[in-house]
Amino acid sequence: MNLDPMNMELYRLVLHDAPYVIGAYAILWLALMAYVGLVFRRLMRLEKEVSVLEESFERRGGR
Amino acid sequence: MRQLKIALVLLLIGGVLTTAAFVMAFTTAEMQRFGTVTVPEPIDTAFPLQQVTEAGYTYERPWFSQKIFYFHVPVAEASFLVFAVAAFFSIRFLMKRRKEFDTKARLAMETAIVFVMLTMITGILWTRAAWGVWWEWEPRLTTYFIMTLMMIGYFVLRNSIEDEERRATYGAVFGIIAFINAPISFFITRLIPSSHPVVFQSGFATSNLIPFILGQIGMLMVGYAIYAIRASEERLEERVDVLKDALEG
Repeated sequence: MNLDPMNMELYRLVLHDAPYVIGAYAILWLALMAYVGLVFRRLMRLEKEVSVLEESFERRGGR
Repeated sequence: MRQLKIALVLLLIGGVLTTAAFVMAFTTAEMQRFGTVTVPEPIDTAFPLQQVTEAGYTYERPWFSQKIFYFHVPVAEASFLVFAVAAFFSIRFLMKRRKEFDTKARLAMETAIVFVMLTMITGILWTRAAWGVWWEWEPRLTTYFIMTLMMIGYFVLRNSIEDEERRATYGAVFGIIAFINAPISFFITRLIPSSHPVVFQSGFATSNLIPFILGQIGMLMVGYAIYAIRASEERLEERVDVLKDALEG
């Protein structure tokens, strides 16, 4: 992969913008991952709840 | 379960594509330039020397903050598209009066608001880096902010109504009205003078276009995946309610 020469210059010349760019990418990914992680946690909890309830329902139905 | 599996695959592919876009944005993508920088001594740089004056040597300035564009724009466009899906299901609900369309509209609106918030955050950071201020009341930012407030208003409205039928109807009507803001916000930079950059107005180098397209496709996949995962969660919640009712009955 050949680095664009302009990109090479960039890192020397404009470190001023770097914190905002890094911040934008970091917040974006962290927020997305946190949100997806939260939804997954809820999903897992609900799946457990459904299987427990289904078991109870089957037991009751079998009586 | 099948929808959840598809969602997980799309989430994975979306993650790979957006990561590839991220890497390309910082390596192979051509550096954009914006404005000038004047230094007292000549420097060894790939940036073209524009002029030499008493103030010093003026070079074209690299536009590092433009790198935010490779994620900010895909996230923003995903927010518009998911919002359009919410408006579509709101219309479907008003036509058919079926609860599933109201649920789909609400889930799409919830996904859209995640993307809207991320657009706002990345946009604010770009504004600070590029314009030196955290916020400016210019047309794109103002209309997008109004759109954000209306989306928040959608959930406030829904939470304030107890009757399920009325909540769904009012939510659908409000969602459709709120969506009117989306095309206004999208096209406003093309219709009236605005300091917000307009994508594709001045053409795009292939090295910039590839990460942008990858980021766009990846972000849409992530958007659909989030929506589908939330839909699976919703179905499980409904199943829990049905089972609880059956056990109690």
